[in-house]
Formats: sequence, structure tokens, C-alpha cells
Amino acid sequence: MQLSREALLRAYRQMKVIREFEERLHVEIMTGEIAGFTHLYCGQEAVAVGVCEHLDHADMIVSTHRGHGHCIAKGCDVKGMMKEIWGSREGICKGKGGSMHIADIDVGMLGANGIVGAGSPIGVGAALSAKIDGNGKVAITFSGDGACNQGTTFEAMNMAVVTKAPCIFLYENNKYSEHTGVSYSVGTNKDIASRAEAFGMKIWRGDGTDFFSVHDTMRDVLEYVRAGNGPAAVEFDTERFFGHFEGDPQRYRGKGELDHIRENRDALKIFRARVTEADLLSGADLDAIDAEVMTLIDEAVAEARLAERPTAADVLTDVYISY
Amino acid sequence: MAQMMYRDAVLQTLFAEMERDENVVVLGEDIVGGMGTAGGPEAIGGIWSTSVGLFDKFGKDRVIDTPISESAIVGAAAGLALAGKRPVAELMFADFIGVSLDQIWNQIGKFRYMFGGKTTCPAVIRMAYGAGFNAAAQHSQSVYALLTAMPGIKVVTPSTPADVKGLLTQAIRDDDPVIFMEHKALYGTMGEVPDGDYAIPFGHARLCRAGQDVTIVTLGLMVGFCEAVADKLATEGIGCDVIDLRTTSPMDEEAILDSVEITGRLVVVDESPPRCSLASDIAGLVTTKAFASLKAPPALVTTPHTPIPFARELESNYLPSPDKIEAAIRQTLAWR
Amino acid sequence: MANIRAFTMPKWGIEMTEGTVAEWMLKEGDAFVRGDTLCLIETDKITNDVDAEFDSVLRKVVAPMGEALPVGTLLAVFADADADDAAIDAFVGAFKAPNTAVAAGAGKTPAPAPAAPPRIIETNRPISPEALRLAQELDIDLAHVEGTGRNGRITYQDVQQASRPEARPVLLGPLDLDDAPEKHYGSPLARRLAAMHGIDLGTVKGTGARGRIRKADVLALVPQPAAARVGAPFTPGENRPRIAPMDKIRKVVARRLTEAATTIPHIYLRASVKVDDLLAMRKTANLVLGVKASINDYLVRAAAVALARHPDINIQVHGEAIHHFPHADIAIAVATERGLVTPIVRGADQMRIDQIATATSALIAKAQTGKLAYADVDGGTFSISNLGMFGLDAFDAIINPPQGAILAVGAVMRALAEENDGEIRFESRLALTLSCDHRAIDGAAGARFMATLKGLIEAPEGLFE
Repeated sequence: MQLSREALLRAYRQMKVIREFEERLHVEIMTGEIAGFTHLYCGQEAVAVGVCEHLDHADMIVSTHRGHGHCIAKGCDVKGMMKEIWGSREGICKGKGGSMHIADIDVGMLGANGIVGAGSPIGVGAALSAKIDGNGKVAITFSGDGACNQGTTFEAMNMAVVTKAPCIFLYENNKYSEHTGVSYSVGTNKDIASRAEAFGMKIWRGDGTDFFSVHDTMRDVLEYVRAGNGPAAVEFDTERFFGHFEGDPQRYRGKGELDHIRENRDALKIFRARVTEADLLSGADLDAIDAEVMTLIDEAVAEARLAERPTAADVLTDVYISY
Repeated sequence: MAQMMYRDAVLQTLFAEMERDENVVVLGEDIVGGMGTAGGPEAIGGIWSTSVGLFDKFGKDRVIDTPISESAIVGAAAGLALAGKRPVAELMFADFIGVSLDQIWNQIGKFRYMFGGKTTCPAVIRMAYGAGFNAAAQHSQSVYALLTAMPGIKVVTPSTPADVKGLLTQAIRDDDPVIFMEHKALYGTMGEVPDGDYAIPFGHARLCRAGQDVTIVTLGLMVGFCEAVADKLATEGIGCDVIDLRTTSPMDEEAILDSVEITGRLVVVDESPPRCSLASDIAGLVTTKAFASLKAPPALVTTPHTPIPFARELESNYLPSPDKIEAAIRQTLAWR
Repeated sequence: MANIRAFTMPKWGIEMTEGTVAEWMLKEGDAFVRGDTLCLIETDKITNDVDAEFDSVLRKVVAPMGEALPVGTLLAVFADADADDAAIDAFVGAFKAPNTAVAAGAGKTPAPAPAAPPRIIETNRPISPEALRLAQELDIDLAHVEGTGRNGRITYQDVQQASRPEARPVLLGPLDLDDAPEKHYGSPLARRLAAMHGIDLGTVKGTGARGRIRKADVLALVPQPAAARVGAPFTPGENRPRIAPMDKIRKVVARRLTEAATTIPHIYLRASVKVDDLLAMRKTANLVLGVKASINDYLVRAAAVALARHPDINIQVHGEAIHHFPHADIAIAVATERGLVTPIVRGADQMRIDQIATATSALIAKAQTGKLAYADVDGGTFSISNLGMFGLDAFDAIINPPQGAILAVGAVMRALAEENDGEIRFESRLALTLSCDHRAIDGAAGARFMATLKGLIEAPEGLFE
């Protein structure tokens, strides 16, 4: 444990914000007020935060359709995100992107992406940009176990190896690609990271429900990639607390499965136990953060409800810079 | 003014822009060529010889030779552009948009809009298109209509070496994503190219011949066909406005409508199939916005609604020809 | 003398063209005396007795009873009893009925032929049902119709095209192209207009997309003729006369017109001309030339060309001398607040449309502001007075002495007319009246001038030669 008290408090706070952001959306979406598709990140908080706590705004990430956690962890404005999901013109993308297309280039967040597997080549390009600049920055593409079966993944992996791009292919294996189990959909040896190994990349694995496992693993991965060794791949074993999308009846889940993972594989519970048992933080420290985060989310929802709605004229803007 | 081949205009423009702006990078399969071979780098310099010497001059970081991975090529261009570079990716053949389409139309074409106008994606995707060399169904297509139909990207189709320079310069400097389509039958054509800095704004058609009886709207290889027909008809006193669109997105609607207002007759010459095509788009434009000026129905000279055939006899019958163009012009003049 | 006479179908009134012998009162060989009834003849109006006008014998009945026969048809032969049969037969053989056709009959609709069923077209070519119906109705031979539909299917439009006469498009021809590299980006038409008016594109601010220079941006820099004045609206008020002496212009107008009306023997030659092509060409030509030439400017041009071809109209009359002029100085009548003035477009036969338009707009502006000089109104070889803007169908003008003729122009009217192809369509027509000084210009000379003028207006490409 090399993390300072501040770093630990901050990491917990980030995970808690993601957790409550998603839990609250789960409730709000049931009322029908929020339009469109929403895919929640609950259960995977340790991955996004454990990765992004190593990054600054010049490091870039490319996200997925299940991207809220990556956005928050990378530093996107939480209230702006909530407004975006509400479809407000005050949203982080003026209500034009919605849940699946949140991006903020200024913080190095190159976009959530509605097309499974589309982010991998984009991450390679972003990494090549860093390589040209020689600034030691990296690009990380978050993908799920579904995206690992897309052809773009293999094109991107090969190209990254060929061009020695400082790119990290990061797989969050939450056991489900949409509604299909990973044991069925991932062929070969049911393992994602080893595929990257076949392209000649160095690979790592870690526990995606344990912030400390993710954080420690990424320290090594980043050190390797920043040193100019070319791309790397890392796979984190994690859990998805909700369905593929909000409204998914999840008939594919086993009996008691959700209760079991909520009980034993909850990143926040694991973090709390680890830091309190090691006497790094007190329960009261964490409770204070919990209260603060609940207030933040309440405010974000209240503000999103009242935020300005887009107009018919807004349909036509932002297609081109000039046309 | 220098005499130059179309392909050399591509190369020299890439060279000049890479020298001018270090953010300009090029990538694509075989754009260096010879990588990993006994012959070594620069064995080819692009299959169209449009990147010869770039690797030696600018190095492997800015001249990125890629595997055959069109999705990854376009996707990497997207990532480079989002990260602040000005990538110029080469797809070899326009037909290969099929294996990279998601990156073109779901990614680079939509970033700016989806992300609320806060991003730019100044990527250029170069590709060779067009029939005429018996390259058959998967290496000859003119896919500008498909790409023009996608909001968020611009589509450029130069027909002369001068326009290659002016439009490629603009494409690289443009902050929006641009599809730059080079006609493979034009690579070897010569023409005068202006010296110095030369950028042609998009959406500005070129009037190649002026006349007051028929408006001919065309692009790419067909421009030369139409000019020849216009010259022939001029000897009979039939005057043709020949408009080279230069860019199909944005499109110079004004040049077309102004011309039809005077001539009252429209012929569109487009070497791609007729359905949901550029030709039908322009006919639609004119009938909706210049209906009262029309003296005859628009005539569309396109290919048939078939894939592109291989054999010489088949391909020459497939493509629009000067004879077919002339017949269409006369058909509009004979309208009763 | 055997006294052989023909008895023919009589003509009772101008409308009678045929009749039927209903009954003979005599039989062959019977003698009759004047006043005896010979037979009954029916027409479509009446049945009438035919009484003998002389004494004779019915020798031979030629025409059968009960059959409608044209007026003049030989019905029977009368002759004295001693005439021999051979002579009578010879008479019958030599008889020739007079031509009794009436002019009215020419226009008579021939008896409706039994309604011919529409021709049924049998074809194995693909054709749309409506196209087939049209082809049958118009009796179009499908063998010569090219099908432009999918897989060569014959469309309604194909049949319609086949039914129309061949097109004779008016060609305007090619133009020279400035192919120097562009320094400033304007639409092709904007560039053309700028070149025509000597405007440097670099000085034009573009209002199009991406700052591009549009047609309107260039036209905004082209000097425009002064806008036509709008007549003051009528406001009713006290109807007390304000007594004003005639001013100088009014006095001259009064004196001249009185003199012209009382001393010049006027003849009036009226013609109606079709102006659709002129109106269409004006739109295009004005766009290309970049001027706002009025219909009247085109009429000045047409009259000038016609005067050049008919020098016997391009004259002045001075006492007993006729002055012929080599060029047409055309006075245009302009109504101003101060009265009618007639400034002159000099050498109009040598001017292009755009030059005429520039000249007339300058003259009209001067007239409206009372700034016409004597030199602007002195002389003239011909006048045009156009009151078309007032919506008049037509009017006759008084000659402006010493000129020999004046052309009065009415308004463009829409009228139904039969076209060359037999179709009835609306077309635009203009009424022209030429007033000629009959002392110097004969009716035929004036008529020839009018024919030329009509031709120029109806085929206006001649105005650009």
C-alpha cells in the first residue's frame, strides 16, 4: 500500500460517485423520464478508478457503451453528464449524444461508443499521436468481453504491435456480452488476454473488483508502455450488477447470482473492508464521503430536471465546422 | 504554373503540407512499401506512387505503413485526429470502404455532432475510385453517392492536377473529416498546376465550358468526356455549361441552379449506378428548386444498375461514353 | 321542233339542297297543260305540288320515286308527242346537272360516320395501361415509340411525346470562358456578370456560403436605372378647378397635336403579335447581359431594326418634301407630371439591347425630373408610345410631326389561341397600331413594315444579331 490518505479518500470518492450515479439512474429510468438506451457500470467501479487514478488529462482513454464509470473516473463533469443523460442542451454534449456518446477531449476522454469494438483502432490512433509527440503519454481502450470478438479488435492489436503504439487494450471481463455468457462467446481457451499474447503483446491480469489489484497491476502496465515498449493488454475479472441495458429482465442470470455478487464481489465493500482493516481510513471517513456523494447526486438530478431543453434549431448545429 | 501529372500533384501536395505542418501524418497499407522485405522501405511509395519519398523525408512516426486493416487504418486516423493530429489515411481502393465503413460513418462522421460540437476530427481519407481499367466489380466503383449521403463528412472528387493540389491542400487544412477521392484513370493525366500556396474552398464548382442551351453537371473522369462533347456541339451552335462539381459534399447548388435558370435543360453525367445516386440527387435538386426554368425533363447519364463487369467490351458498354452523353443532350433539346 | 325539256329537282329556297319525288300524278305518255299538278316533292321542310308551267307531254320518268336527290337532278323529260324516243334517250344521255353546291355546305360536318370504336392496339411490347389508353385515343403507332421506362416499357410520357410535333429549340449557343486560375471565389454566373460589367471580383463582398460571391452580390454593384415612378393614389376632394395657364411644354404639345390631328391624314394599321418568346428571352438575356431592359426597350430595338429594313417609314414630312434618314432616331413618349414628352433614342438601329436600355433609362430619368434639353427632344424619325403599363388592350396614336409614323403599344394580354399543332393554349399577345401619314406612306408600305416588326418580335433571336 503506497497510497496516501488523500489518494485513498479520492479513489473511494470516485468509486462512490460512479456507484451512486448509476444506482440513481437505475431508479430514475424506471419512471420513464429518461429517454433512450442506458447501460450501467455498477460493479465495475474498481476498474475505471483503479486505471484512471494513474492518468492525467494528456493520457487518453476510449470508452464503450457502458461508459459512465470511465467518464467519471477520467474527470468528466458529473452534473454535465447527468444533464446529458437527461437530454438537456446544458449537457456535456448539448443533449446530442446521450448516455452512449459522452466525450470530453479536454480531460482526455475520447468518447463512449455505441458500436461494440469500434474504440480499439481509435485508441491505436490516439496512441500514435502520443508516440509522434514523444511525450510518454498513452491511450487506453476499454473493451468488454463482447468487443474482444470483433474484427476491429484484432486489426487494432496487430497494428498497434506493428507500429509500436503506446496503447493499452484493457478488457473488463464482466462475464456477459449483452445476454450471452463469456464461456460460450469467447472461443479458444475462454481467455481474452491470451489472444493479445498471440499478437506478441505482454499481458497482465487482475481482479477487477479490487481497487488495489487494478491499481497495482496498472502501475506495472503503464510503466512498461510509457517506457516505449509498444502496446500491452490487460484483463480484469469483474462483475455487472445490472442488466445489459436498463429494462433488461436478466433471465439469463442464475438463481441468487446477483445477491451473491452484490455480497461478495462489491468493489466498494471490498475497498471499505481493506482500508478499515488496515486502519488506513476510518468508517467515519468513508461515511462522510458517502453523505457528500449522495448530496452531489441529488443536486445533479435536481439540476438536470430543470436544465434548459434543446431547441429545434439545435438539430442543425455541430455537424460541420464549416459547410 | 508547372506541368504536372495528377498523381504527382497528390504527392507534392502531401509533401508540401507535411513540411508546412508537423501535425500532418500519413498512414495506410504500402504507402511506404517494402517494409519487412529484403528490398527495404520505399520499395513502392504507395501503389499509386502518391507517397514516394515521404518516408525518407519525414520518418516512420509521420509516415505510418500499416497492415491490411482498413478498419484499423480509418480508426487510427480517427484517433490521431481526435488527439490533435491531421492524419491523411490512404485506403488504396474506394471499394474498401466496405471493410471500414463503421469507422467512416459511425465514428469520424458523427464525433462532432454526438459530442456536442466540442471535438474536431480533421482526418482525410484518400482513396482511388472509378472504372475504366477492367479492374472489375470490387476495384472500380465510384462510391461518392454513398459517402455524400453521410452527414458530417465532406467528399471531394478532383478532376485535374490543379484541382488535386487546391482541393487536397484544403482537405488537409479543413477541420472537418474529408473523403478525398482520386480517379484512377486520371492519375496519369497532365495539367497546369498553380505555384505556391493554393487551396480551393469546398462547395465551389468549376465551370469548364460555358454555354446557354444545356447545363451538364458532372465530376471526375466524366468531366473530360463532357468537355469533348460540349466542344463538338459548340460547332453546331449548341452551347453547354459544363459544371465540374469538384466536391459532392458540400455541393455547389448555386452554380447548378443559376445555370439551369438560363439553359432550362439539365444533363447529369455520373459514372455510378442510377438508383439513389448523385445523378438522381441533382435531378431532384433542380426539379424542386428550379422547376419553372426547366424546358425539358432532366436527362441522367449513368451506368446501368449492375455491378461493374470485367471484360473490355462489357466495361466500355457499362460506362457513360461521349456518345451516350451527346445523345442525352440532344434528347433534352428534342423534348416536345 | 320536238321541244324537249328537262324536268329537274327544283330549288325552293337557299337552304334546299335535295328533295324526294313522293308521287307522280301522271304516267309516261300523259299530256298536261299549264297548271296541272305534275308530282309531289318532299324536302326536309315541306311537301309541295309541282304545277306545270307549260303544255307538254311527260315522255320519260328518269329518277325513281322515294329517293332523296340533289337539286338539279334530272327527274323526267317533257317533249311534244311527236319527238322520237331516240332523241329523248339522247337528251337524257347528254344531260349534265348544274353545279348546285352551296358554300355553306363546305363547312358542314359530314354526316357522323357510325361512331368508330377507338382503335384497339394489340402489342406485345411492355406499356403502361394509361400509355396504351392514350395511344389508342390519339391513334399513335407504337412501332415508332421508344420506351423509356424500366426494361423499355412505354410510358405515358413516351406516347405524349410521340404525339407532339418535332421540337425546334431556340439555341443561344456557347460562350467564351475565362479559364485563368481563380483568385476570388464566385459562382460561375457571378464571375460572368462581373467580367461583363468590368467589376473586379476582389472588390465584391461575398454573401454566399463560406463567403462565396453570388450572382446577387455582383448585380448589387451594377448601376441600376432609376426606378419607375409610382402614380400617386387617388384622393377625393373638392372639385373646384384650379386655373393654370399651359406651360411651355404643354403649349407645344397642344399645338403640335392639333396640327397633326387636323392636317395629317392618318391611316391606322393594327396587328396583334405573340410575345411569349420575347418574354422568355428577355429574362435570360437580361440575366446574361446584366441589364434590366424593359419590354419597351426590346420594342425600340425591334422597331429600329424594322425601320432599317423599311427606309420608306423612317421619314419626316416637310410640306411637299419627304426626308429619308439613314438611321432610326426613335422618340419614346414619356408621360411626366408636366405632360407628355418625347425624348429621342438616337441611332437606335445601331445599338444593342443593353445600350438601348441604358439610353432610355437615362432619358426617362431626365424626363421625370424635368431636365430634358432641347437636343434630347428635337427631331426624330419615328415614335413609340407605349401605354401597355396602363393595361390598355390597344389604342391609336396621333403622329408626332414632322415624323411620318408612330407606333402605339398596348398591354401584354393572355389569350387562347390555336397553335401550329392544333392544340389550344394560352399565349401572350401584344396589340400594336401603326399610325401613318398617308400623304407620304401608303397602306401597303406600312403593312410591310408591320409584317417585319411582327416577325422580329415573334422570333426575337433576330434582335441580337
